[in-house]
Amino acid sequence: MRSYAAQRAGLAIVQLAVLSVLVFVLTSLLPGDAADLRFTETLTPSQVAALRAELGLDQPPVERFVHWLGNVLTGDLGTSLISGGPVVDIVRHSIGATLVLTLATLAIVVPLAVALGIVMGTRENGRVDRAITSITLALSAIPDFVIAVVLVAVFSLKLGWLPATWIGGNLLSSPALLILPIAVLFGRTVCLLSRQVRAGTVAALNAEYVTQARRLGIPRRQLLLRHVLPNAAVPGVQELARTGDTLLGGVLVVEAIFAIPGFATALVDGVETRDIPTVQGLTLVLAVAALLINLGADLVCNRLVPRTALLR
Amino acid sequence: MTPVVRVTGLSATAGEAVLVDGVSFEVVAGEVTALVGASGSGKTTSALALLGEHADGVQLGGYVEVDGQLVVASNGVTAAAQSIRGRVVAYMPQHPGSALNPARRIGTTLQELAKLHDGDAREAVRAAQVPGDRSTLKRFPYQFSGGQRQRVALAQTLTCRPKVLVLDEPSTGLDSITRLQLVHELRDLAATGLGILLLSHDLDLVRALASRVVVLDAGQVIATDVLPPAPDLKVTGTSAAGQPLLTAMNLSASLRPRGRDVVLHEADLAVRAGACLGVVGRSGSGKTTLARCLAGLHERYTGTILLDDEPLPVLRKRTRDQHRRVQYVWQEVRGSFDERRPVDQQVARTAQRLRGLAPDKAHAEAVATLARLGVAAITAARPPSRLSGGELQRAALARAVLANPDVLICDEITTALDDHGTALVLDLLTELKDRGTALIWIGHDLRLVAAVADRVLVLDAGRVVEQGPPATITTEPHHELTRRLVAATRIGNPQSPPAETPPVLTTDSRSEPRR
Repeated sequence: MRSYAAQRAGLAIVQLAVLSVLVFVLTSLLPGDAADLRFTETLTPSQVAALRAELGLDQPPVERFVHWLGNVLTGDLGTSLISGGPVVDIVRHSIGATLVLTLATLAIVVPLAVALGIVMGTRENGRVDRAITSITLALSAIPDFVIAVVLVAVFSLKLGWLPATWIGGNLLSSPALLILPIAVLFGRTVCLLSRQVRAGTVAALNAEYVTQARRLGIPRRQLLLRHVLPNAAVPGVQELARTGDTLLGGVLVVEAIFAIPGFATALVDGVETRDIPTVQGLTLVLAVAALLINLGADLVCNRLVPRTALLR
Repeated sequence: MTPVVRVTGLSATAGEAVLVDGVSFEVVAGEVTALVGASGSGKTTSALALLGEHADGVQLGGYVEVDGQLVVASNGVTAAAQSIRGRVVAYMPQHPGSALNPARRIGTTLQELAKLHDGDAREAVRAAQVPGDRSTLKRFPYQFSGGQRQRVALAQTLTCRPKVLVLDEPSTGLDSITRLQLVHELRDLAATGLGILLLSHDLDLVRALASRVVVLDAGQVIATDVLPPAPDLKVTGTSAAGQPLLTAMNLSASLRPRGRDVVLHEADLAVRAGACLGVVGRSGSGKTTLARCLAGLHERYTGTILLDDEPLPVLRKRTRDQHRRVQYVWQEVRGSFDERRPVDQQVARTAQRLRGLAPDKAHAEAVATLARLGVAAITAARPPSRLSGGELQRAALARAVLANPDVLICDEITTALDDHGTALVLDLLTELKDRGTALIWIGHDLRLVAAVADRVLVLDAGRVVEQGPPATITTEPHHELTRRLVAATRIGNPQSPPAETPPVLTTDSRSEPRR
């Protein structure tokens, strides 16, 4: 058990190292750099060269990487070439909205999906199972922007109940801002999660160990909660990690439609303006988050159903 | 003595089909009752009726009374069934190791059961010979070996303090020495006042233990208290002369790269066309590794394997003709069948691919071979999940035979078969031998091996410790292991001493399929 955790954490560290190189290399591959994009029209070539030197862009890539990594490790993600402020600030400003949206969505989706999954799994191919399957599948099949446009048209424009955008809004003063974005994200996440929990429940219910527990007289409720659920939850937890990744990455369509100043918006802005330090910083934060979420999910799964070792 | 279980006129029907028809038997405290019959004869269906359990779509009828409570009545399972599960009747499935929940520490489940049934987990753990210290109880099932898992499963059932213990084929896959140990342990359990219902096709085990015997066939009781005679295992003729067809020299095999974890040490063997080489040894002695080397599935070996004096490469480098000439049938065959296609088609496929037969001809030959082995055409037309373990094992043999092989390697292929099925298999193999096929027969049942083989090779811890004609091996065994294997064939003899072996807990005694 402990050895699994140690191995898994070790793997995460290796992943982190590879990841930092990848982030740096990939963002360096973007065509052009900030110096020639922003200043070619106003500066002479010699001034551009001077600016490059000042920004460190004339250094060989390896030295730039070492320098960048050193700063990252001390919590300095660099300085935005556009705003001139630290990238950390951009992260800090954009991550709030995304984090709130992600956590709020999960808080609603997870309990519901687990409950639906168990209900479906215990009634495999029954009428209830089919009804829930049809509804969640249909919801997840509608593209985000269609749901979003319809919801805005009905609840914001026609009925005027809910705000359509976050512009000028404040989460603290009007939590209602969250309702429409969550409604858009709801369908697919509920569908994916509940299907995994359903599959896990069906597999566990058909497993020999559950049959044997039933034969030894363990009552149904105890059987479901203690014998089936830990096994059934495993695929659900893995799916939850994937969902978490996606939501944190900022669901761009949702952020665009509701004008949410979130992570995806910040990232797209950075790419458009060739603001390489910002893109690097945001990508790195996102990648580390994904890594930690998956590390957490694997450890939880191993606690639920222990395995011998990661590597054999 | 009043019986704890009284079954009268039990029936199980699925629509039109009658699975069990008017079965009656009793289980008495402190005694062993055996339900004997071929696979598919209704043993498990009858035994599960004691728990009021049945498959979907099956209707139980008749009369089952357990410890004074009516579990099955003429109109089906009664409400009392739930209350006797575990507490009065406990069931040990055929592969009890997989009946442990991978997500739960063994102690947690034991405590849960003890609380539920007022049992004593500590005492049950001791009776099942599982170490009862705190750290063992905190372990998860994956931290035990296959043999230990069986014991943990037994501890679970004993924690419920049942009055009746149902054991479904407890000797499947056990080597003969461990099997002898099982006999002594079950006698001890019965002596504590437990009523035991033993489901088995292992007639030696039944003879050694049971005081009452009920023989089932096609869902009906055909005899009580009389055992069907053992099949006539005639000792086969002398081996054909001539050059060896398959030769292995200096064969060593290891589990890990660069010769680490050696499991087979410098084995030599040769088998002629029309001859049969028997390989015996305990679980873990390297029998299967030897077979897998010859079949080309185990690639980490050194030494030479020759087929007709030509080197035989590993499986993926063999030509189509070499594929055809050497066929391998192993023990756990379910995974080797495509679960979506009918079995007969999969059996026919070998003849199509390796012999270029037309599909309809191949199919006809498949059906005929399966029928010879006692698998009816209507059964073989189903997907593998609808076939019993014994039927599938015979289908795997038919699949190999359809290649028309020159060398056929049979690795414990009769473990899931009753005596009748075994006799059918031996009949077909004898015919193959007469046609010039060389057989390599791997088994743990020395008596059966001696009846089939012209020459026997005894493996112990990866080394060939004895080799010779079966008559010599059984009458004048030289090696200690051979002597014990010979002694273990006599488990029916009540004077047989308990096997002097280390407790099963230290080794994984159950043959597990290899990856």
